[in-house]
Amino acid sequence: MSIKIDHEQLLFHFQVNIATFALLFSEIVQYCQNRVHTVPELQNKLSELGQSVGSHMLDVIFLREKGYKREVKLLNMLIFIKSSFWKIVFGKEADKLEQANDDDRTYYIIEKEPLVNKFISVPKDKGSLNCAAFTAGILEAVLNGANFPAKVTVHWHKGTTFMIKFDESVIARDKMVDSR
Amino acid sequence: MTIFSVYIINKAGSLIYHYDAPNSGRPAVEKTFSYPLELVLKVFDEKVTVAFGERDGIKVGHAVLGINGIPAEGRFLRDKREILEVLASEKNYPINIKFGRPPLSINERIMLASMLHSLFAIGSQLSPEPHSSGIRTMETDTFKLHCHQTMTGVKFVVITDPKQGHVDAILKKMYEAYADFALKNPFYSLDMPIRAELFDNSLQSVIEQADKYGISNI
Repeated sequence: MSIKIDHEQLLFHFQVNIATFALLFSEIVQYCQNRVHTVPELQNKLSELGQSVGSHMLDVIFLREKGYKREVKLLNMLIFIKSSFWKIVFGKEADKLEQANDDDRTYYIIEKEPLVNKFISVPKDKGSLNCAAFTAGILEAVLNGANFPAKVTVHWHKGTTFMIKFDESVIARDKMVDSR
Repeated sequence: MTIFSVYIINKAGSLIYHYDAPNSGRPAVEKTFSYPLELVLKVFDEKVTVAFGERDGIKVGHAVLGINGIPAEGRFLRDKREILEVLASEKNYPINIKFGRPPLSINERIMLASMLHSLFAIGSQLSPEPHSSGIRTMETDTFKLHCHQTMTGVKFVVITDPKQGHVDAILKKMYEAYADFALKNPFYSLDMPIRAELFDNSLQSVIEQADKYGISNI
């Protein structure tokens, strides 16, 4: 006996007003700013907060979207993140997913205007701060939790770029899976 | 063009944002004069202004903006000569002087904003109707001043052409832009001057939209 829940309806009914989220996120940034002294530390703190969000979301989303199957292939996992995961969390898919030309350990997810940065104007004295470090934390937790150890950093490039650097073990394992 | 300037005043009465449209009609009048000068000039507020002798578009209150092409800085010209001395000596004539309304300095703007704030408070007391909230519009034959006061005491003041319509919609849109890009910005502290790029951009687009649709509607 199993209980069938209409997943589509559930997912789309849990919507939050963007103003509410923006005010909450603005408080998060201010909270972090009161506890650090430099810009890189602020980005790290935002990333840590994002990681706790990501680790909680991973199981829920995988369960709802993929049934009970796990992703083992790297490319499929990345495509899943770019499309379904982004759609559930932010309401739209990420703009682009690219692989670095020279390095097969590095992938890029590019978004012109990330949702978290929508109302934020960074003043000049904060230099290269990008509050999408929060989203980078979410990504890192999702990848690490799904057994693809990686480091995700955020950069101002073509809008906002998330640089994902995988561990050697992940690439080696992926090659083995492919060659079978 | 039809919106001349925007001022945002916080609940304590100090100016937190101002914007002036680039070509808001401050025409300068340039004329050649011969000795003796028929206008009476006085130094007022560190600027040489016309005190008496209005003629040919040069009004009382206009300041000397330049002489013979050399721009004026306060009481002196850029080449360090004092303006009143230059105008007093006959050997400099015939002389070409440019008059116009002097551009406002930031201190003057802050003073104007505080004055507006006090006037609104007095207006709400003087009104014959009970429960008046303050001045909504002030009309003259060259401009119209509109003010929208929010529930938190922030005033959005817009100075436009007298024929500009639907300024209420413009003020509402500016309020929305403030609520979005100033209040949701983690780097903005309440009641401080607004220094957010996204806010400037969005205000610009509201003003451009108003200008595009012109005088009749938004």
